[in-house]
Amino acid sequence: MALVLVWAAELAVFALVVAGILAERPLPLAATGLAIVAAAVGLRLRPGLRRALVAAFVAHRRAALAGGALLALALPLALRASPYWTFVAALALLYVTIGQGLNLQIGTAGVLNLAGAAFAGLGGYSVGLLTVTAGWPAWLAVLAAPWVAVIVGTLLFVPILKTRGHYLALVTIAFVFIFNILMNNFEFTGGPQGIKNIPTLRLFGWPFTAKPSLLGVELPAHANFYYAALVMASLTTLVLRRLHDSWLGLTLNTLRDDEIAARCCGVSITRGKLLAFCIGNFFIGLGGALYAVMVGFVSPPDFDFGYSLVMLSVIIIGGVDSIPGVVLGACLLLPLPERFRFLHEYRLLLYGLVIVVMLLYRPQGLWPAAIRRYR
Amino acid sequence: MPPLELLLQQALNGVMLGVMYALIAVGFTLFFGVLDVIHFSHGDIFMLGAFAGLSALLGLKAAGVAGAALALPLAFAAAMLVTGLVGVAAERVCVKPLARSSPLMTLLATLSLGLVLRESVLIFYPRGADPKPFPQLLPQGGVEVGGVAIRYENLAILAIGFAAMIAVDRIINRTRMGAAIRAVAQDPEAAQMMGVNLDRTVDATFFLGSALAAVAGILSGLYYSEIHFIMGITGGVIGFSAAAIGGLGNVYGAIVGGLLFGVLQTTAAALIPRGSEFRDVVAFAVVMLFLVFKPSGILGEKSVERV
Repeated sequence: MALVLVWAAELAVFALVVAGILAERPLPLAATGLAIVAAAVGLRLRPGLRRALVAAFVAHRRAALAGGALLALALPLALRASPYWTFVAALALLYVTIGQGLNLQIGTAGVLNLAGAAFAGLGGYSVGLLTVTAGWPAWLAVLAAPWVAVIVGTLLFVPILKTRGHYLALVTIAFVFIFNILMNNFEFTGGPQGIKNIPTLRLFGWPFTAKPSLLGVELPAHANFYYAALVMASLTTLVLRRLHDSWLGLTLNTLRDDEIAARCCGVSITRGKLLAFCIGNFFIGLGGALYAVMVGFVSPPDFDFGYSLVMLSVIIIGGVDSIPGVVLGACLLLPLPERFRFLHEYRLLLYGLVIVVMLLYRPQGLWPAAIRRYR
Repeated sequence: MPPLELLLQQALNGVMLGVMYALIAVGFTLFFGVLDVIHFSHGDIFMLGAFAGLSALLGLKAAGVAGAALALPLAFAAAMLVTGLVGVAAERVCVKPLARSSPLMTLLATLSLGLVLRESVLIFYPRGADPKPFPQLLPQGGVEVGGVAIRYENLAILAIGFAAMIAVDRIINRTRMGAAIRAVAQDPEAAQMMGVNLDRTVDATFFLGSALAAVAGILSGLYYSEIHFIMGITGGVIGFSAAAIGGLGNVYGAIVGGLLFGVLQTTAAALIPRGSEFRDVVAFAVVMLFLVFKPSGILGEKSVERV
């Protein structure tokens, strides 16, 4: 019974999301909006239902995850009419990967990193240089590129990691600016034009520009990247979930909460922060690398300070240090502005306002981090 | 090695830029002093000051007030009032409510508030996306001293900038409010017990710092003859860097830091091939080195944490 409830709830969310994305004419649009509002109000007014749902999800965790995975796999089928939305969905999944990396740094370890865009850019530019200039195959470049972000991050930040919040913020902001100026002015990175014609991914002879078909239905070419990003985001989330629950995650939490107390308990601050910083940068760089092969070109404006803020917002909206929160934040924050295209001009303004309001009234995020449970 | 005249010329230009940076940096350092926060939207308040000054000048021109001698002081006053009030509003909405939570929260809130200010100017100012020409109101022309060209315009900018700094020094050291600001910076609780009104002092600090940003904004408009809605990003980062080099919390440190940053930029531009593109890279790199080797800044106090 509870199992049916879980799957029914997941299916309902899936249907609402797809309808919300695809409804164009006024009548379906109004119906979808009403349904979403009704569902929200219903959950608010019927605490019994809410508790039953939570209990069902807790009791059937594996079934819920399996159902969610199945629906995530099926999403391109539902969106097959719109290559654009398939692309947006893939982008949201890239931000899940990036957000998880950043969340490990900021949320778990308290290492403030406002240079997310620059580290994603290091990944993206490395892919561009390795494939276009050095002639590597794309998949090898995507696997190698994150290490560039890790190495550059380590070299630059080892001396500075010891400094506290404000200064680390300043240095990382300055790093984004330096990265942008350098990319704009170096010859070998193509200057303001960036690097064009990055070859697409090719796995076992299957080019990612070809249209795949699933269950006999032809999908847009971007579905390839959707599935690649889905695999990447799931693996990242799984790895970081395990890491967060391990002794290392706990150590990093103590660092974040009280450095002095942590030191007194024998935690090495530099080592912990450096570890979190490197692991985080790896995933941020990985997201940037896949972005480069997905879009096919990289240029400086793709990685400017504004994107650092978008990455941060993903964490804040979802919930700082909350792994499911990051997934929720990315899946809300990336598609929503695309849906409301008529608000496009006001997009960044609204981002800013939403973050301020969130910080003032719900600083723990939409899906707050759960208290650690030890069994 | 470039000739000495060129270096002197660049140093002079550097001081000019440095005066503007210093005015922004003083705001950062004042805010840090009273509330221990970094107010990241300060750069955008600087930008807002430039736009408020431009609007005031255009309005005065339309109203028939001719002559820089009258229009410019009025524009300064108007812009300072606008940014001062916006600064106080920002503090009440975004900074003080979050001051007790983790520094990350204030940082993010003020970064986002800066985004809101920037986008508001972009969207709501007429044709906000374009760079706006700023009227040239300062005397043109100049003299040459020993191969170094000194333009009257630049002298006027220096004079206004230093006048503003001296005024800040007087306010902080010679007035009751200044004493209150210093007291709160030292120890907010003890200051309150001595009868200092904490909220009013914090408001006054934010008004003062933000008004200084408006002075910097108008000076920047006069210097570059152009203002743009994104100028606040670099302005803010440079101002913060300057305050950090000088030692956060120390007003004189901020001034020294601002001047140093300006001189660094212009000498980098003169000494390095294609230096004008890479000048910010050099300047920021020096800032990073500074934070590694002297994290408390030039004039900052070394803080030791006791348990």
